[in-house]
Amino acid sequence: MLEVRGLSLRYPNGKEALSAFDVVVRPGQLVIVLGGNGSGKTTLLRCIARLLDPSGGEIRVNGTDLSRLSGKELRRARLQLAVISQHAALVRRRTVLANVATGALGRCHDLWTALGGLPASELAAARSRLAEVGLAELAHQRAGTLSGGQSQRVAIARALAQQPRVLLADEPVASLDPEAAEEIMRLLRRLAAEENLAVLCVLHQVELAYRYADRVVGIRDGRVAFDLPRAEVSREAVRQLYLSEAA
Amino acid sequence: MTDGLAPSGRLAADAGWRGAATAALRTLGVLVVLLVIVQSLIVVQARPQDLITGYHGMLDFLRRAWPPDVSRVKDTLWPALESIDIGIFGTVAGVIMALPLAVLAAANVTPARPLYYLARGIIAFTRSVHELVWALLFVTAVGLGPFPGGLALAVHSIGMLGRLFAETIEHMDMAPIEALALTGASRMQVFTQGVVPGVIPSLLGISLYRLDENLRASLVLGFVGAGGIGFQLFTAMSLFDYRQVSLLLIVVFIMVVGAERLSAVLRQKLA
Repeated sequence: MLEVRGLSLRYPNGKEALSAFDVVVRPGQLVIVLGGNGSGKTTLLRCIARLLDPSGGEIRVNGTDLSRLSGKELRRARLQLAVISQHAALVRRRTVLANVATGALGRCHDLWTALGGLPASELAAARSRLAEVGLAELAHQRAGTLSGGQSQRVAIARALAQQPRVLLADEPVASLDPEAAEEIMRLLRRLAAEENLAVLCVLHQVELAYRYADRVVGIRDGRVAFDLPRAEVSREAVRQLYLSEAA
Repeated sequence: MTDGLAPSGRLAADAGWRGAATAALRTLGVLVVLLVIVQSLIVVQARPQDLITGYHGMLDFLRRAWPPDVSRVKDTLWPALESIDIGIFGTVAGVIMALPLAVLAAANVTPARPLYYLARGIIAFTRSVHELVWALLFVTAVGLGPFPGGLALAVHSIGMLGRLFAETIEHMDMAPIEALALTGASRMQVFTQGVVPGVIPSLLGISLYRLDENLRASLVLGFVGAGGIGFQLFTAMSLFDYRQVSLLLIVVFIMVVGAERLSAVLRQKLA
Protein backbone atom coordinates (compact mmCIF):
# COMPACT_ATOMS: atom_id res chain seq x y z
CA MET A 1 0.00 0.00 0.00
CA LEU A 2 1.18 3.51 -0.82
CA GLU A 3 0.30 6.33 1.54
CA VAL A 4 1.38 9.86 0.76
CA ARG A 5 0.52 12.38 3.47
CA GLY A 6 1.12 16.11 3.41
CA LEU A 7 3.81 15.84 0.75
CA SER A 8 5.33 19.16 -0.19
CA LEU A 9 8.24 20.29 -2.31
CA ARG A 10 9.62 23.80 -2.46
CA TYR A 11 12.41 24.57 -4.94
CA PRO A 12 15.39 26.68 -3.82
CA ASN A 13 13.92 29.63 -5.78
CA GLY A 14 10.90 29.53 -3.45
CA LYS A 15 8.46 28.03 -5.99
CA GLU A 16 6.13 25.51 -4.39
CA ALA A 17 5.83 22.49 -6.71
CA LEU A 18 3.78 20.33 -4.32
CA SER A 19 1.74 21.46 -1.38
CA ALA A 20 0.30 19.20 1.36
CA PHE A 21 -0.46 16.48 -1.17
CA ASP A 22 -2.35 13.42 0.06
CA VAL A 23 -3.00 10.24 -1.88
CA VAL A 24 -3.52 6.63 -0.83
CA VAL A 25 -3.32 3.66 -3.20
CA ARG A 26 -4.40 0.31 -1.82
CA PRO A 27 -3.17 -3.06 -3.13
CA GLY A 28 -5.03 -4.04 -6.29
CA GLN A 29 -6.01 -0.45 -7.07
CA LEU A 30 -5.13 1.59 -10.14
CA VAL A 31 -5.21 5.29 -9.28
CA ILE A 32 -4.75 7.75 -12.13
CA VAL A 33 -3.49 11.29 -11.64
CA LEU A 34 -4.73 13.89 -14.12
CA GLY A 35 -3.57 17.47 -14.45
CA GLY A 36 -2.34 20.08 -16.88
CA ASN A 37 1.23 20.72 -17.91
CA GLY A 38 3.31 21.98 -14.99
CA SER A 39 0.64 21.05 -12.46
CA GLY A 40 3.10 18.82 -10.54
CA LYS A 41 2.17 15.32 -11.75
CA THR A 42 5.66 14.16 -12.65
CA THR A 43 7.14 15.99 -9.66
CA LEU A 44 4.78 14.01 -7.45
CA LEU A 45 6.02 10.68 -8.82
CA ARG A 46 9.67 11.76 -8.67
CA CYS A 47 9.19 12.80 -5.05
CA ILE A 48 7.55 9.49 -4.16
CA ALA A 49 10.43 7.60 -5.84
CA ARG A 50 12.80 9.92 -3.93
CA LEU A 51 14.45 11.16 -7.11
CA LEU A 52 13.57 14.54 -5.62
CA ASP A 53 13.83 15.21 -1.91
CA PRO A 54 10.50 16.43 -0.52
CA SER A 55 10.46 19.47 1.78
CA GLY A 56 7.90 17.82 4.07
CA GLY A 57 5.33 15.05 4.47
CA GLU A 58 5.42 11.26 4.50
CA ILE A 59 5.76 8.62 1.78
CA ARG A 60 4.83 5.25 3.25
CA VAL A 61 5.23 2.04 1.28
CA ASN A 62 3.76 -0.85 3.27
CA GLY A 63 4.35 1.19 6.41
CA THR A 64 7.99 2.20 5.74
CA ASP A 65 8.46 5.96 5.49
CA LEU A 66 10.73 6.54 2.48
CA SER A 67 10.98 10.26 3.09
CA ARG A 68 13.27 9.72 6.07
CA LEU A 69 15.61 7.18 4.48
CA SER A 70 18.90 7.62 2.64
CA GLY A 71 21.81 5.56 1.28
CA LYS A 72 21.57 1.80 1.60
CA GLU A 73 18.35 1.92 3.61
CA LEU A 74 16.63 3.90 0.87
CA ARG A 75 17.96 1.50 -1.75
CA ARG A 76 16.56 -1.46 0.17
CA ALA A 77 13.21 0.23 0.70
CA ARG A 78 12.99 1.16 -2.99
CA LEU A 79 12.83 -2.53 -3.85
CA GLN A 80 9.14 -2.38 -2.95
CA LEU A 81 8.55 0.45 -5.36
CA ALA A 82 9.03 0.17 -9.12
CA VAL A 83 8.91 3.02 -11.61
CA ILE A 84 8.11 3.04 -15.32
CA SER A 85 8.47 6.21 -17.35
CA GLN A 86 7.21 7.68 -20.60
CA HIS A 87 10.22 6.35 -22.50
CA ALA A 88 10.81 2.75 -21.53
CA ALA A 89 14.44 3.53 -20.58
CA LEU A 90 15.80 0.16 -21.68
CA VAL A 91 19.48 -0.55 -22.32
CA ARG A 92 19.08 -0.68 -26.10
CA ARG A 93 22.03 -2.92 -26.90
CA ARG A 94 21.08 -5.64 -24.41
CA THR A 95 18.55 -8.36 -25.05
CA VAL A 96 14.98 -8.03 -23.89
CA LEU A 97 15.57 -10.84 -21.38
CA ALA A 98 18.67 -9.17 -19.91
CA ASN A 99 16.76 -5.90 -19.55
CA VAL A 100 13.97 -7.64 -17.67
CA ALA A 101 16.43 -9.51 -15.42
CA THR A 102 18.10 -6.24 -14.38
CA GLY A 103 14.90 -5.49 -12.49
CA ALA A 104 16.07 -8.03 -9.92
CA LEU A 105 19.52 -6.49 -9.36
CA GLY A 106 18.49 -4.90 -6.09
CA ARG A 107 18.13 -8.39 -4.60
CA CYS A 108 21.41 -9.77 -5.95
CA HIS A 109 24.38 -8.05 -4.39
CA ASP A 110 27.13 -10.46 -5.41
CA LEU A 111 30.38 -10.22 -7.35
CA TRP A 112 28.89 -11.85 -10.44
CA THR A 113 26.22 -9.18 -10.94
CA ALA A 114 28.67 -6.43 -9.96
CA LEU A 115 30.87 -7.58 -12.83
CA GLY A 116 28.00 -7.42 -15.31
CA GLY A 117 26.66 -10.99 -15.05
CA LEU A 118 23.01 -11.89 -14.53
CA PRO A 119 21.94 -14.59 -12.05
CA ALA A 120 20.58 -17.75 -13.71
CA SER A 121 17.64 -17.97 -11.30
CA GLU A 122 16.56 -14.42 -12.11
CA LEU A 123 16.85 -15.08 -15.84
CA ALA A 124 14.34 -17.88 -15.44
CA ALA A 125 12.03 -15.54 -13.51
CA ALA A 126 12.53 -12.85 -16.14
CA ARG A 127 11.32 -15.31 -18.78
CA SER A 128 8.06 -15.84 -16.95
CA ARG A 129 7.66 -12.05 -16.47
CA LEU A 130 8.08 -11.62 -20.21
CA ALA A 131 5.43 -14.25 -20.79
CA GLU A 132 3.12 -12.30 -18.45
CA VAL A 133 3.38 -9.24 -20.66
CA GLY A 134 3.03 -11.37 -23.82
CA LEU A 135 6.55 -10.99 -25.18
CA ALA A 136 8.15 -14.37 -24.41
CA GLU A 137 9.06 -14.89 -28.07
CA LEU A 138 11.18 -11.70 -28.13
CA ALA A 139 13.41 -12.70 -25.20
CA HIS A 140 16.63 -12.80 -27.21
CA GLN A 141 15.96 -9.81 -29.42
CA ARG A 142 17.87 -6.58 -28.81
CA ALA A 143 15.81 -4.03 -26.87
CA GLY A 144 16.71 -1.33 -29.40
CA THR A 145 14.76 -3.13 -32.13
CA LEU A 146 11.39 -3.08 -30.32
CA SER A 147 8.41 -0.85 -31.08
CA GLY A 148 7.27 1.75 -28.53
CA GLY A 149 4.48 -0.45 -27.20
CA GLN A 150 6.73 -3.51 -26.93
CA SER A 151 9.43 -1.45 -25.17
CA GLN A 152 6.90 -0.23 -22.63
CA ARG A 153 5.75 -3.80 -21.98
CA VAL A 154 9.37 -4.84 -21.43
CA ALA A 155 9.75 -1.92 -18.99
CA ILE A 156 6.70 -3.21 -17.14
CA ALA A 157 8.16 -6.74 -17.08
CA ARG A 158 11.39 -5.28 -15.67
CA ALA A 159 9.38 -3.49 -12.99
CA LEU A 160 7.62 -6.78 -12.15
CA ALA A 161 10.99 -8.58 -11.90
CA GLN A 162 11.71 -6.23 -9.04
CA GLN A 163 8.77 -7.85 -7.18
CA PRO A 164 7.43 -4.48 -6.01
CA ARG A 165 4.35 -3.75 -3.95
CA VAL A 166 3.84 -0.35 -5.54
CA LEU A 167 4.15 0.60 -9.21
CA LEU A 168 4.55 4.22 -10.27
CA ALA A 169 3.89 4.93 -13.96
CA ASP A 170 4.80 8.34 -15.35
CA GLU A 171 2.83 8.91 -18.56
CA PRO A 172 3.49 5.34 -19.74
CA VAL A 173 1.40 5.75 -22.90
CA ALA A 174 2.39 9.29 -23.89
CA SER A 175 4.44 8.25 -26.90
CA LEU A 176 2.27 5.34 -28.03
CA ASP A 177 -0.45 5.03 -30.67
CA PRO A 178 -4.04 4.63 -29.35
CA GLU A 179 -4.08 0.84 -29.78
CA ALA A 180 -0.76 0.35 -27.98
CA ALA A 181 -1.90 2.79 -25.26
CA GLU A 182 -5.05 0.73 -24.63
CA GLU A 183 -2.94 -2.42 -24.48
CA ILE A 184 -0.62 -0.93 -21.84
CA MET A 185 -3.52 0.35 -19.75
CA ARG A 186 -5.25 -3.06 -19.91
CA LEU A 187 -1.98 -4.63 -18.78
CA LEU A 188 -1.60 -2.23 -15.84
CA ARG A 189 -5.24 -2.85 -14.88
CA ARG A 190 -4.74 -6.64 -15.00
CA LEU A 191 -1.42 -6.54 -13.10
CA ALA A 192 -2.90 -4.39 -10.34
CA ALA A 193 -5.60 -7.00 -9.82
CA GLU A 194 -3.60 -10.20 -10.36
CA GLU A 195 -0.40 -9.16 -8.56
CA ASN A 196 -2.23 -7.17 -5.90
CA LEU A 197 -0.13 -4.17 -6.83
CA ALA A 198 -0.84 -0.59 -5.82
CA VAL A 199 -0.51 1.31 -9.11
CA LEU A 200 -0.24 5.10 -9.27
CA CYS A 201 -0.27 6.31 -12.84
CA VAL A 202 0.09 9.80 -14.28
CA LEU A 203 -1.81 10.31 -17.54
CA HIS A 204 -2.82 13.02 -19.97
CA GLN A 205 -5.48 10.94 -21.70
CA VAL A 206 -8.72 11.65 -19.85
CA GLU A 207 -10.66 8.95 -21.69
CA LEU A 208 -8.20 6.28 -20.57
CA ALA A 209 -8.58 7.47 -16.99
CA TYR A 210 -12.38 7.13 -17.25
CA ARG A 211 -12.03 3.60 -18.61
CA TYR A 212 -9.30 2.09 -16.44
CA ALA A 213 -8.96 3.95 -13.12
CA ASP A 214 -10.38 2.81 -9.82
CA ARG A 215 -9.93 6.36 -8.58
CA VAL A 216 -8.93 9.57 -10.29
CA VAL A 217 -6.89 12.26 -8.54
CA GLY A 218 -6.92 15.73 -10.06
CA ILE A 219 -3.87 17.89 -9.45
CA ARG A 220 -3.68 21.65 -9.93
CA ASP A 221 -0.76 23.88 -8.89
CA GLY A 222 0.74 21.04 -6.85
CA ARG A 223 -2.43 20.53 -4.79
CA VAL A 224 -5.13 17.87 -4.80
CA ALA A 225 -8.08 19.30 -6.75
CA PHE A 226 -10.19 16.18 -6.29
CA ASP A 227 -9.73 12.53 -5.35
CA LEU A 228 -12.79 10.52 -6.39
CA PRO A 229 -13.89 7.10 -7.61
CA ARG A 230 -13.92 7.07 -11.40
CA ALA A 231 -17.74 7.07 -11.61
CA GLU A 232 -17.97 10.26 -9.55
CA VAL A 233 -15.52 12.33 -11.56
CA SER A 234 -17.45 14.89 -13.59
CA ARG A 235 -16.33 16.11 -17.00
CA GLU A 236 -16.57 19.63 -15.63
CA ALA A 237 -14.12 18.89 -12.79
CA VAL A 238 -11.61 17.50 -15.31
CA ARG A 239 -12.17 20.45 -17.65
CA GLN A 240 -11.36 22.80 -14.78
CA LEU A 241 -7.94 21.12 -14.36
CA TYR A 242 -6.96 22.00 -17.90
CA LEU A 243 -8.70 25.38 -17.90
CA SER A 244 -6.32 26.65 -15.24
CA GLU A 245 -3.46 25.61 -17.55
CA ALA A 246 -4.95 27.58 -20.47
CA ALA A 247 -5.42 30.63 -18.25
CA MET B 1 7.84 67.66 -27.11
CA THR B 2 9.45 65.10 -29.42
CA ASP B 3 13.06 64.39 -30.27
CA GLY B 4 12.26 64.88 -33.90
CA LEU B 5 11.62 61.23 -34.75
CA ALA B 6 8.37 59.33 -34.60
CA PRO B 7 8.64 55.90 -32.83
CA SER B 8 8.73 54.06 -36.17
CA GLY B 9 11.43 56.42 -37.45
CA ARG B 10 13.49 55.88 -34.30
CA LEU B 11 13.24 52.10 -34.77
CA ALA B 12 14.46 52.45 -38.36
CA ALA B 13 17.39 54.62 -37.21
CA ASP B 14 18.32 52.06 -34.51
CA ALA B 15 18.24 49.26 -37.09
CA GLY B 16 20.49 51.32 -39.39
CA TRP B 17 23.07 51.84 -36.62
CA ARG B 18 22.99 48.17 -35.71
CA GLY B 19 23.54 47.21 -39.36
CA ALA B 20 26.51 49.60 -39.69
CA ALA B 21 28.05 48.31 -36.44
CA THR B 22 27.67 44.69 -37.58
CA ALA B 23 29.30 45.47 -40.93
CA ALA B 24 32.20 47.26 -39.19
CA LEU B 25 32.72 44.32 -36.81
CA ARG B 26 32.66 41.87 -39.70
CA THR B 27 35.28 43.91 -41.60
CA LEU B 28 37.42 44.08 -38.47
CA GLY B 29 37.11 40.29 -38.05
CA VAL B 30 38.25 39.67 -41.63
CA LEU B 31 41.21 42.04 -41.13
CA VAL B 32 42.25 40.22 -37.94
CA VAL B 33 42.13 36.83 -39.69
CA LEU B 34 44.23 38.20 -42.60
CA LEU B 35 46.72 39.68 -40.12
CA VAL B 36 47.08 36.31 -38.36
CA ILE B 37 47.73 34.55 -41.69
CA VAL B 38 50.27 37.14 -42.84
CA GLN B 39 52.22 37.06 -39.55
CA SER B 40 52.37 33.23 -39.75
CA LEU B 41 53.86 33.49 -43.28
CA ILE B 42 56.47 35.93 -41.97
CA VAL B 43 57.35 33.85 -38.91
CA VAL B 44 57.78 30.57 -40.87
CA GLN B 45 59.78 32.50 -43.53
CA ALA B 46 57.62 31.02 -46.28
CA ARG B 47 59.46 31.15 -49.63
CA PRO B 48 57.28 29.44 -52.29
CA GLN B 49 59.92 30.24 -54.94
CA ASP B 50 62.30 27.82 -53.19
CA LEU B 51 59.94 24.98 -54.10
CA ILE B 52 60.48 25.84 -57.75
CA THR B 53 64.23 26.50 -57.60
CA GLY B 54 64.73 23.38 -55.44
CA TYR B 55 63.20 20.97 -57.95
CA HIS B 56 66.71 19.81 -58.96
CA GLY B 57 67.25 18.40 -55.47
CA MET B 58 63.90 16.59 -55.55
CA LEU B 59 64.58 15.13 -58.98
CA ASP B 60 68.03 14.00 -57.82
CA PHE B 61 66.47 12.28 -54.81
CA LEU B 62 63.86 10.52 -56.96
CA ARG B 63 66.53 9.43 -59.47
CA ARG B 64 68.69 7.94 -56.74
CA ALA B 65 65.70 6.33 -54.97
CA TRP B 66 64.48 4.53 -58.06
CA PRO B 67 64.06 1.58 -58.34
CA PRO B 68 63.33 0.55 -54.74
CA ASP B 69 65.73 -2.10 -53.48
CA VAL B 70 63.21 -4.99 -53.36
CA SER B 71 65.99 -7.49 -52.70
CA ARG B 72 65.92 -6.30 -49.09
CA VAL B 73 62.16 -6.75 -48.53
CA LYS B 74 62.88 -9.59 -46.09
CA ASP B 75 64.93 -7.22 -43.91
CA THR B 76 61.97 -4.86 -43.56
CA LEU B 77 59.52 -7.50 -42.32
CA TRP B 78 60.74 -7.66 -38.71
CA PRO B 79 60.90 -3.85 -38.22
CA ALA B 80 57.45 -3.58 -39.82
CA LEU B 81 56.06 -6.17 -37.40
CA GLU B 82 57.80 -4.33 -34.57
CA SER B 83 56.04 -1.09 -35.57
CA ILE B 84 52.66 -2.82 -35.75
CA ASP B 85 53.23 -4.35 -32.30
CA ILE B 86 54.30 -1.00 -30.84
CA GLY B 87 50.96 0.38 -32.07
CA ILE B 88 48.99 -2.57 -30.66
CA PHE B 89 50.80 -2.45 -27.30
CA GLY B 90 50.33 1.33 -27.03
CA THR B 91 46.62 1.08 -27.82
CA VAL B 92 45.83 -1.87 -25.53
CA ALA B 93 47.79 -0.41 -22.59
CA GLY B 94 46.26 3.01 -23.29
CA VAL B 95 42.71 1.62 -23.30
CA ILE B 96 43.31 -0.29 -20.04
CA MET B 97 44.57 2.84 -18.28
CA ALA B 98 42.17 5.30 -19.93
CA LEU B 99 38.97 3.42 -19.02
CA PRO B 100 39.03 3.89 -15.24
CA LEU B 101 40.26 7.46 -15.68
CA ALA B 102 37.40 8.20 -18.07
CA VAL B 103 34.85 6.93 -15.53
CA LEU B 104 36.31 9.27 -12.92
CA ALA B 105 36.48 12.12 -15.45
CA ALA B 106 32.85 11.83 -16.65
CA ALA B 107 30.77 14.38 -14.74
CA ASN B 108 27.62 12.22 -14.78
CA VAL B 109 29.11 9.07 -13.21
CA THR B 110 32.16 10.26 -11.25
CA PRO B 111 31.96 9.14 -7.61
CA ALA B 112 33.54 12.33 -6.20
CA ARG B 113 34.39 15.84 -7.42
CA PRO B 114 38.10 15.79 -6.35
CA LEU B 115 38.59 12.53 -8.29
CA TYR B 116 36.96 14.16 -11.30
CA TYR B 117 39.48 17.03 -11.27
CA LEU B 118 42.41 14.66 -10.63
CA ALA B 119 41.41 12.43 -13.57
CA ARG B 120 40.83 15.42 -15.85
CA GLY B 121 44.30 16.73 -14.87
CA ILE B 122 46.05 13.44 -15.70
CA ILE B 123 44.19 13.20 -19.00
CA ALA B 124 45.10 16.79 -19.96
CA PHE B 125 48.77 16.31 -19.01
CA THR B 126 49.30 13.02 -20.88
CA ARG B 127 47.55 14.46 -23.94
CA SER B 128 49.41 17.75 -24.01
CA VAL B 129 52.86 16.13 -24.35
CA HIS B 130 53.47 14.80 -27.87
CA GLU B 131 54.21 11.08 -28.29
CA LEU B 132 57.68 11.87 -29.75
CA VAL B 133 58.55 13.72 -26.54
CA TRP B 134 57.23 10.82 -24.47
CA ALA B 135 59.37 8.48 -26.64
CA LEU B 136 62.49 10.59 -25.97
CA LEU B 137 61.77 10.47 -22.23
CA PHE B 138 61.21 6.70 -22.24
CA VAL B 139 64.32 6.05 -24.38
CA THR B 140 66.26 7.86 -21.67
CA ALA B 141 64.53 5.82 -18.97
CA VAL B 142 64.46 2.28 -20.41
CA GLY B 143 66.93 2.47 -23.31
CA LEU B 144 66.63 2.07 -27.09
CA GLY B 145 64.21 -0.36 -28.73
CA PRO B 146 60.50 -0.91 -29.27
CA PHE B 147 59.53 -0.89 -25.57
CA PRO B 148 59.95 2.88 -25.05
CA GLY B 149 57.94 3.38 -28.25
CA GLY B 150 55.09 1.27 -26.90
CA LEU B 151 55.20 3.13 -23.59
CA ALA B 152 55.17 6.50 -25.33
CA LEU B 153 52.07 5.60 -27.35
CA ALA B 154 50.38 4.12 -24.27
CA VAL B 155 50.87 7.25 -22.18
CA HIS B 156 49.79 9.60 -24.97
CA SER B 157 46.78 7.36 -25.67
CA ILE B 158 45.66 7.70 -22.04
CA GLY B 159 45.07 11.38 -22.68
CA MET B 160 43.48 11.05 -26.09
CA LEU B 161 41.29 8.05 -25.22
CA GLY B 162 40.51 9.24 -21.68
CA ARG B 163 39.03 12.45 -22.99
CA LEU B 164 36.99 10.80 -25.76
CA PHE B 165 35.80 7.99 -23.46
CA ALA B 166 34.74 10.50 -20.79
CA GLU B 167 32.83 12.58 -23.36
CA THR B 168 31.10 9.45 -24.66
CA ILE B 169 30.01 8.52 -21.14
CA GLU B 170 28.84 12.08 -20.48
CA HIS B 171 26.68 12.10 -23.60
CA MET B 172 25.05 8.73 -23.01
CA ASP B 173 21.31 8.39 -22.46
CA MET B 174 20.88 8.59 -18.68
CA ALA B 175 17.28 7.32 -18.61
CA PRO B 176 18.25 3.59 -18.47
CA ILE B 177 20.82 4.42 -15.78
CA GLU B 178 18.21 6.14 -13.64
CA ALA B 179 15.83 3.23 -14.24
CA LEU B 180 18.46 0.75 -13.02
CA ALA B 181 19.28 2.84 -9.96
CA LEU B 182 15.57 2.82 -9.11
CA THR B 183 15.50 -0.98 -9.03
CA GLY B 184 17.75 -0.80 -5.96
CA ALA B 185 20.89 -1.78 -7.90
CA SER B 186 24.23 -0.80 -6.38
CA ARG B 187 26.49 1.83 -7.96
CA MET B 188 28.78 -0.85 -9.36
CA GLN B 189 25.84 -2.83 -10.77
CA VAL B 190 24.43 0.28 -12.42
CA PHE B 191 27.84 0.87 -13.99
CA THR B 192 28.46 -2.65 -15.28
CA GLN B 193 24.85 -3.42 -16.26
CA GLY B 194 23.81 -0.03 -17.63
CA VAL B 195 26.72 2.27 -18.42
CA VAL B 196 29.08 -0.32 -19.92
CA PRO B 197 26.60 -1.99 -22.32
CA GLY B 198 25.39 1.47 -23.34
CA VAL B 199 28.77 2.86 -24.32
CA ILE B 200 30.88 -0.17 -25.21
CA PRO B 201 30.31 0.00 -29.00
CA SER B 202 31.35 3.66 -29.06
CA LEU B 203 34.39 2.96 -26.89
CA LEU B 204 35.45 0.09 -29.15
CA GLY B 205 35.05 2.32 -32.20
CA ILE B 206 37.20 5.03 -30.60
CA SER B 207 39.82 2.43 -29.60
CA LEU B 208 40.00 1.09 -33.16
CA TYR B 209 40.42 4.61 -34.49
CA ARG B 210 43.20 5.12 -31.94
CA LEU B 211 44.85 1.86 -33.05
CA ASP B 212 44.91 3.22 -36.58
CA GLU B 213 46.47 6.49 -35.31
CA ASN B 214 48.98 4.64 -33.14
CA LEU B 215 50.10 2.40 -36.02
CA ARG B 216 50.89 5.54 -38.01
CA ALA B 217 52.61 7.19 -35.06
CA SER B 218 54.70 4.07 -34.36
CA LEU B 219 56.34 4.48 -37.79
CA VAL B 220 58.09 7.72 -36.81
CA LEU B 221 58.97 6.82 -33.22
CA GLY B 222 62.06 5.03 -34.55
CA PHE B 223 63.49 8.44 -35.49
CA VAL B 224 64.22 8.99 -31.80
CA GLY B 225 65.45 5.44 -31.21
CA ALA B 226 62.17 3.90 -30.12
CA GLY B 227 62.31 0.92 -32.51
CA GLY B 228 60.27 -0.17 -35.50
CA ILE B 229 60.50 0.66 -39.18
CA GLY B 230 61.13 4.35 -38.39
CA PHE B 231 64.55 3.45 -37.06
CA GLN B 232 65.37 1.68 -40.36
CA LEU B 233 64.13 4.68 -42.31
CA PHE B 234 66.20 7.09 -40.24
CA THR B 235 69.32 4.93 -40.64
CA ALA B 236 68.82 4.56 -44.42
CA MET B 237 68.41 8.33 -44.83
CA SER B 238 71.49 9.02 -42.73
CA LEU B 239 73.50 6.67 -45.00
CA PHE B 240 72.02 8.26 -48.19
CA ASP B 241 70.70 4.78 -49.08
CA TYR B 242 67.77 6.19 -51.04
CA ARG B 243 66.76 2.93 -52.76
CA GLN B 244 66.30 1.43 -49.31
CA VAL B 245 64.40 4.60 -48.27
CA SER B 246 61.96 4.23 -51.17
CA LEU B 247 61.40 0.56 -50.33
CA LEU B 248 60.69 1.45 -46.71
CA LEU B 249 58.31 4.22 -47.75
CA ILE B 250 56.36 1.72 -49.88
CA VAL B 251 56.15 -0.67 -46.89
CA VAL B 252 54.99 2.21 -44.67
CA PHE B 253 52.35 3.18 -47.22
CA ILE B 254 51.01 -0.38 -47.35
CA MET B 255 50.94 -0.59 -43.54
CA VAL B 256 49.13 2.73 -43.11
CA VAL B 257 46.52 2.04 -45.78
CA GLY B 258 46.03 -1.53 -44.49
CA ALA B 259 45.55 -0.33 -40.89
CA GLU B 260 43.17 2.39 -42.03
CA ARG B 261 41.02 -0.02 -44.03
CA LEU B 262 40.97 -2.66 -41.28
CA SER B 263 40.02 -0.07 -38.67
CA ALA B 264 37.27 1.34 -40.91
CA VAL B 265 35.81 -2.10 -41.63
CA LEU B 266 35.79 -3.08 -37.94
CA ARG B 267 34.24 0.24 -36.90
CA GLN B 268 31.53 -0.20 -39.53
CA LYS B 269 30.74 -3.66 -38.14
CA LEU B 270 30.36 -2.16 -34.65
CA ALA B 271 28.03 0.63 -35.78
